[in-house]
Order: sequence, then structure tokens, then C-alpha cells
Amino acid sequence: MTLLEVKDLNVSFSTADGVVRAVRGVSFDVEAGRTLGIVGESGSGKTVLTQTLLGLTPGADVSGSAIFEGTDLLQLRPDQMRRVRGAQISVIFQDPLTSLHPLYKVGWQISEMIRAHDKSVSRKEAAERAVELLRRVGIPKPETRVNDYPHQFSGGMRQRAMIAMALSLEPRLIIADEPTTALDATVQAQILDLLLRLQQESNTALIMITHDLGVVADIADDVMVMYAGRAVEKAPKREVFYSSHHPYTKGLLESIPSSSAAGERLRPIAGQPPSLINLPSGCKFHPRCGYVFDRCLREEPGLRPVDASGLHFSACWLPAAAAGLSAEAEELREETVLGQRGEEAAEVAAAAAAELGRPASEEGGA
Amino acid sequence: MAGDDVLVRVENVVKYFPVKAGGLVRRTVGHVHAVDDVSLVIERGKTLGLVGETGSGKSTLARCVAGLLPVTSGRVIFDGHDITNLSRGAMRPLRREIQMIFQDPYSSLNPRRRVGSIIGEPFAIHKTATGAERKRRVQELMERVGLNPEHYNRFPAEFSGGQRQRIGVARALALRPKLIICDEPVSALDVSIQAQVLNLLSDLQQEYGLSYLFIAHDLEVVRHVSDKVAVMYLGRIGEAGPKDSLYGQPRHPYTVALLSAAPAADPDTAAARQRVLLTGDVPSPISPPEGCRFHPRCPKAMPLCSAEEPGLLPRAADAAADTASGAAPDPARAGALVAGGDTHLTACHFPVAAGENLAAAGSRELA
Repeated sequence: MTLLEVKDLNVSFSTADGVVRAVRGVSFDVEAGRTLGIVGESGSGKTVLTQTLLGLTPGADVSGSAIFEGTDLLQLRPDQMRRVRGAQISVIFQDPLTSLHPLYKVGWQISEMIRAHDKSVSRKEAAERAVELLRRVGIPKPETRVNDYPHQFSGGMRQRAMIAMALSLEPRLIIADEPTTALDATVQAQILDLLLRLQQESNTALIMITHDLGVVADIADDVMVMYAGRAVEKAPKREVFYSSHHPYTKGLLESIPSSSAAGERLRPIAGQPPSLINLPSGCKFHPRCGYVFDRCLREEPGLRPVDASGLHFSACWLPAAAAGLSAEAEELREETVLGQRGEEAAEVAAAAAAELGRPASEEGGA
Repeated sequence: MAGDDVLVRVENVVKYFPVKAGGLVRRTVGHVHAVDDVSLVIERGKTLGLVGETGSGKSTLARCVAGLLPVTSGRVIFDGHDITNLSRGAMRPLRREIQMIFQDPYSSLNPRRRVGSIIGEPFAIHKTATGAERKRRVQELMERVGLNPEHYNRFPAEFSGGQRQRIGVARALALRPKLIICDEPVSALDVSIQAQVLNLLSDLQQEYGLSYLFIAHDLEVVRHVSDKVAVMYLGRIGEAGPKDSLYGQPRHPYTVALLSAAPAADPDTAAARQRVLLTGDVPSPISPPEGCRFHPRCPKAMPLCSAEEPGLLPRAADAAADTASGAAPDPARAGALVAGGDTHLTACHFPVAAGENLAAAGSRELA
């Protein structure tokens, strides 16, 4: 069942330097009980996207629609949004230390959340529910820990407390924005495990925003890859990892140390993400793309189906069959590029290639 | 003879920080055992990876090696010189040989100074180049690390995170050091940029014969860059050895847990993997547990573990493999048995055997 349906969402901010186009024409669905992983690097728009859904981007210029259980979130007044936020859609932020108030006891902060949405709950009841919630997220001795201040909790425990707070009103959708980025690997594993278990228990939908493909491989069902404010690839998890179509997705996967044999040179993506004020022409990834050809410089591709499944989409002008890491796919990519690459595109490609080769090759002469 | 391959020798280094309490009269009420009896070697032209979680003492150890923190006891030998707790003056000539690259390229560069002056600062401090010569050398360095030399007059704010880290690398490289201590150099960077910086570091190592002490919490990154790896837990080294041996056959239950927790960017691997989920948090380094420091969280803990601290030694299978591989068991090697050498060492009474399933041991009720 579709819980949230986002259509053609655009978000931009007017700044002194110009208009920052943070999100451009993004559409996606979230199903109940499933996890959507949104992957992207800093500045790809993944956080702005979800904050806009929750009405947390005041001053932004927003268009599009986001239908959550029949209501368009983008049309809600602030007081209406306050009733949705926390109760039906809750958020877990990256840094649990700054998301908890340092001067209030952890238990009090959880009870406050409950009572803010339901005044009929007595203080005593709310306090009891806070203990129960802390127990549910695996905090040892919750009866005494509810009276601790956030600084008395370790990083992992704070994130557990945040999760407890997010769960307190049994939301239909949880948005987790880099929830484990500030945590150590063993603690991250505990938290991901906890999120998965809680999700299965209550059939909650989860949007997991992360820059870490490892986290996505672990817990997502569907994946949306974002670049420069746009969804560039969208597919079930396995398709993204094993038959990715967009060169940016492929580049991300190849940049990870584990994907190449140890000792081998890594294959980074050339250059860096573009400024959202001064976006490149055509496909926004073209200045960094190894498969750039003429059309990419002029026209921005939209999401197009890659296969017949109707689930895998990619915003790239390469032929649909050029998906995956197989030799045939690579051949098809090369063929397309050679056939359609003019002088201008060749220059762009040469610049990107030179940049990647630079440290190794140029020093020889210096 | 063997000393020639060794650039840095850390011998039984201990670093305690006093914990103060009280109002007007501050008195010491305890110590944070940040680094507790650590010995390791860093070989010339090689990379020693140091892995550990928050609070394991890896950054403190790095600062002790760099001479930025006085050690409580133990010795640090750099290139044949004992540099333990040297005075500032005595340390100065050696400072150019040891440089650091820090984690956060935003806070480790002075925002009010131009890039040229940041990278040129080491030349000024050590009075090795001035005026036009300094500018030329700075621009050479910028070119070398993949920055546009024309951006000499820009401020750090005008660069992206990856470029800033390149500025940090150029500054560390300026005086042609022998050792660069990289403290989480890529953890603040996006993956595509991270790969660019890792490639740069590896090129520079080959070109200048640099040695790296590479600290990171990302196990895949450490595996990629290191020759030898040491795993720290609560101020001690739990396991150390050549990369392939350590990653291929981890012996310490903590290493096994750490490896199983690391996210793999591959859904099939992620699904097939059995996580060893550790219970609880890292204990306080003010009063570390008796015996093995990992025992309160260890799925294999036995009574012996809380009574007696295990030594960092070659454990059964590794010792056999070591002799079988042709290494002569000569007595001089006994002194060489410290982290960073060729031998796989484990500080555990009951090391994990090949094929042993710790995930099952950790959740007995399921078995």
C-alpha cells in the first residue's frame, strides 16, 4: 500500500548569491512496511527533500505534491503540520547530542513528546510509557536511566533514546537522516538491527537517508540515488548494486575501497559536485562522467525505465540495455559514446580523465 | 640491521590524563587510561593502519608518536633518536620529519589565511625558503596534490572539502617528512572524493618513500591503504598483524565483531553475513575492567579472562604458519614481536579459530 506519494517536488532557496535549486523534480513512493534508501553525497538535496516534506524548510520556494494518507503535506498549515510531524511521521536526526535538549532529563523529553500530541495522557502515564519505550530500544535499567540527562548517555544510547522518541506515538513513517553516521561500526550495527526489528514489529515505513552504500545494502528495500537535486537512479536494492545503469551510481560503487582488490588503485569520480546555484547545462553529471556524449551537454535526461520490470529507472541518455557491470554492457556504453561523442563532449571527457590521471602522470616530468 | 627498516619504534607507551575534581583546590581523583602499554613499529615506506572505535586511544597514541603530547611512561624512538618527552627546542629539528593530516579539513585550516600562506607556513617556521622561492615551492606542492596553483591567493572557504584536505596534504608534505600521521584523513569526505584523496596518498608514498601511521575507523579504507594493521580497544592493542592475515583470519573476538559490523556495500554479502552483535558500550577508560579489557562484552569470555590479562603474542595457528612460511625462529626476533611487525599477534586467551561461528556463540538462546 502506498503510504507516501511524492510527485515532481521542487525546492529552491533565494540567497544573496542567487537561487539555490536544492531539489528538482523528484518523485517517489514509499510503501508501508518497506524501507526506501535515499543515497547521495553532500549537497545532493537528500536532506532538504525530506525536511520539506515535514515543513522544516521555511522560506523555501516549494512546488509539487506529497500525498501522505490522502493529505498533501505541502498544503498543510503550520499548526496542521505540527499534528502530523512526530505523531504520524517522525524523524531521527544524525547527531543525537544536538537533537536532545541538554538541560532536560531524557525521560522527560520523551514524555513531553507524548503529551504534546495527546493531552489526555497524564504525566504519570507518559513517564511510564517513556520507561517502556527505553526498554524497547534496549537501554539497560530504563527505570533509572529515564532520570539521566543526555550527557550521561553514550552516543549509541542517545541514538536509541532518539529512536524511542520517534516511536513514542507509533508513526506510520519514520524518516532517518544519517542516523548512524556519527556512531562507531559496532554501535551502528546495533542501531540498524534495532531499526529493522522495530520496523518489522509495527509495519512502519522507513526512509533512510545516507551517504553510506553499506547501510543501504544492509537495510533498504528500494533505493533512490540523488545527484545535484535530482533522482538519477531508482530501483529495488539488488538492481542498484548489481545492474546499475547511471554512471554516477556505478562511479559511487567503484569508489568504495572494498569493491577493488586491495592494493589496486581506487577508481574515484573525477571533479566534485556542482554548485546548486550554477548548475551545468544538460545532464548535471556530465562534467564528471566518463561516458559523456553530445546529447548530455544539451538535454537533461529524466528518469526512464531501464528494464521491463517497471521498477528500475535511470536518468541517463545511455541505452537502457547498458546496465550492469558485464562486459556486454560496457561494450554497449563505449559504442554509444564513440558513435555520438562530438568535439565538445570529447573535450569534457578529456578534462575529467586528465584530472583523474594528474597526480600520477604529471609528476614524472616535474 | 633490522633497525634500518624501522622508522618508528614505540616501546611500552603509557598515556594517562588526570581527572580533576573539587572546587577551589583541584585534586586528581583518577586517571583516564587513554593509552596503556602500547608497543609498535612503523616500517620505512610502509603504512601501519590503526583501527579502533571512539575512545580506544588511537588519536592519543598518534599524538604521542608525533611528540604533541608528553607520554606518562615508555619510549618513542624515531629514526634512531629517542624523542620521548624532548623539550620544544630539541624537538624542533625533528618536527619537520613528522607531519600530521587531520580529520576535519574545515577546522584544521585557518579561515583567515590564504592557502599560499597556509601551505608556506612550514617553510617560514623552519626558515627553509623565503619570498619568491617559497611561493614557487608552494605552487609546486599545490600542483602535486591536484590543486590549481593559480588559487594560491584564495581562502580555505573557497574550496570544497576534498580540496581542503588536499591543502592539508600539501602542508604536511612541504618539508619532505619521513612520517605522516593521518588521523581519519578521509572520514569527513564523500566516497567519490575519499577515493581521490586515498589515491593521492598512495602516489605520494611511492614517490617520496613516506611512512604512514594511518588512523581510521573505516575498516575497508584501512585495509586498502595499510601493509600492517593494529586494532586498539580501550587503550591497548588487541590484535595486530600483516593486513591479509588480520583480515583473512581475525583471531581476537573484538576484531571479529568489528569486521562483522562493518557495512558491506553488497546486498548479498550483507544478507549472508552473521553479525556478532556486541552487547553494551565500551567501558569507561577511567576504570578499565580487570583482566582482558574486552571481557565484559566478549561472547567467548571465560573466568580466566577477567582474572588475567592476555599478552599480545602469536597464537597457536599463527605461530605455526609463521614458522612454516620460513621465518627463522631466532632469539633476536623476540624483541621484534610488537605490533607492526610481520607476525600476527593476538591479545586473547581463547583466540577465535578458523571457521568458528562467534555470531552463534553470542546468541546462545537461538542455537
